[in-house]
Amino acid sequence: MEEAIRARGVTRTYRSKGRETVALAGIDLTVPAGATYGLIGRNGAGKTTFIRIASTQLLPTSGSVAVLGHDAVADPRSVRNRIAVIPQESRPLYFLNVYELVYLYLKLRGMPGTEARRRTEAVLVELSLDSRRKTLVSHLSGGMRRRAMVAMVLASDAEVLFLDEPTTGLDPVARREVWSAIERAIRDRRTVLLTTHYLDEAEALSSRLALIEGGRVLLEGTPAEIRSRIPRPFRVSVQGRVTREELLPYGEVAEVRGGHLVFAREEEARELTRLALAKGFPVSMAPASLEDVFLQLVGRPIGEDDPEEEGTA
Amino acid sequence: MTVRHRLRSLATLAFMNGVVPMRTQPLYLLNTIASPLAFLFFIDVISRGELILYGIAGGFVLTMLSIGTGLQTDMTHYKQDLKFQDLIVASPVEAPVYVAGMALSELVYALPGLLIFLVLWIDRAGAPPLGDALTVLGVLVMVWAFASALGFTLATYFEDIRETFVFSPLISLGLSTLPPVYYSAGILPAWAQPLVYLSPTTYAADLLHRAFGITQLGPYLLPAGLDWLALGAFTVALFVLAAWKARWREP
Repeated sequence: MEEAIRARGVTRTYRSKGRETVALAGIDLTVPAGATYGLIGRNGAGKTTFIRIASTQLLPTSGSVAVLGHDAVADPRSVRNRIAVIPQESRPLYFLNVYELVYLYLKLRGMPGTEARRRTEAVLVELSLDSRRKTLVSHLSGGMRRRAMVAMVLASDAEVLFLDEPTTGLDPVARREVWSAIERAIRDRRTVLLTTHYLDEAEALSSRLALIEGGRVLLEGTPAEIRSRIPRPFRVSVQGRVTREELLPYGEVAEVRGGHLVFAREEEARELTRLALAKGFPVSMAPASLEDVFLQLVGRPIGEDDPEEEGTA
Repeated sequence: MTVRHRLRSLATLAFMNGVVPMRTQPLYLLNTIASPLAFLFFIDVISRGELILYGIAGGFVLTMLSIGTGLQTDMTHYKQDLKFQDLIVASPVEAPVYVAGMALSELVYALPGLLIFLVLWIDRAGAPPLGDALTVLGVLVMVWAFASALGFTLATYFEDIRETFVFSPLISLGLSTLPPVYYSAGILPAWAQPLVYLSPTTYAADLLHRAFGITQLGPYLLPAGLDWLALGAFTVALFVLAAWKARWREP
């Protein structure tokens, strides 16, 4: 397997006003070339810190990161020639129109005008932005703006794309717009390192995932592999008058509105489903989602911020 | 990046940040020249035109300093609010190219002011000899260079655009009105005179006063050679500071 990114023992500690915050506590990660790799975790888990280190924006406290074989710490220039980034919470220069945003970014990267024009035209058509080419980006919706930013990096000649929470704050329709843009990079077989705390997004776009919590990788693999590695890979939703104590023998129980959610092994899940049906309770059984996996492993939902890490990672 | 790539990046930045924004807001141009023209107006009125060349010299310096403060504001905004600098750091564009391109773009905003002061200078003093014209040009380039280096260094430390609203006017006015730019050092009390050597604009203005041939408010501060030496040393020092202290990749 050819490696695009290889990280070993990466740590990062932030120091502020005499207080130390560990954002990364020793990350080992290998991102295969040509794949879309998702880093998932709560806000503050360390995703952005890792992406900033790998994309040469930030120095690690210790450890090594190589991008396409180049040392991102000692030889950032070689890395920068081959990567492109959409930073978290970045916004396009508001006084440019969509065409200029893409074209001038390519020129900034040193691309000749003819080539930059050709690539800009192509990406605008491909991402359905062509009809907005003369529109100032400040006049676009949030989803269109992010899509225009994705167009910038897609049109570049970068071999590795770092997309840091490209859809945060967008509504579901806008998120889908951005997804379709990212899918173009996947078709190009470029390496994409994507961070997100939307698990549906990670699953839809990534061929491999790493689940990060507290600055460490908890699990790594394909979405199916990750699901298979949890002890209770099925979820049973039981509605009606049934107590937590009655359900505990079948697995882990979480109370939800109108009933309970039980994480169980396949056999127990089937048995519980049969029993609930026999008693006439509304019941459903399904493989655990990534969200369920996260909840089982971390004990908190992914949407919950880590206050210890907030503002650093 | 090859030299050609670097030049392309430089020109693109200058165009993108200098020319394109004026399409949506042409009044940006007035912003740069408002203060120097206001000072010139008061000096002209109060001195009944006698000290207008000091106003023109000060106008040249203040206009070029505004490039540094404009750069500082733009770069802070691009780094903190838009995360544009992060996008650039993780790209083939190198820090010196980014700073030079942004500094060139700010020069675009200064051009109308420079043109106005040039016309006024020629109107009041006649067509200058080549040596004086080259002196003025050289001084303007040096002020542009050290103001840009200072602006970039400060911008990498500011975490909020509002900080630049506090520091930019202080730096710009502090370097143009406290040192003997709009006046001659000769009129200062003896205890204050050593302090003027601390500002690079002192030497820039001394050279401009010399090129303009103005002596109404007192003698020139230093021989021209020493002025150039001091101005050059300040410029180099600020570039070294920018290279050493400014944060491109976060430590």
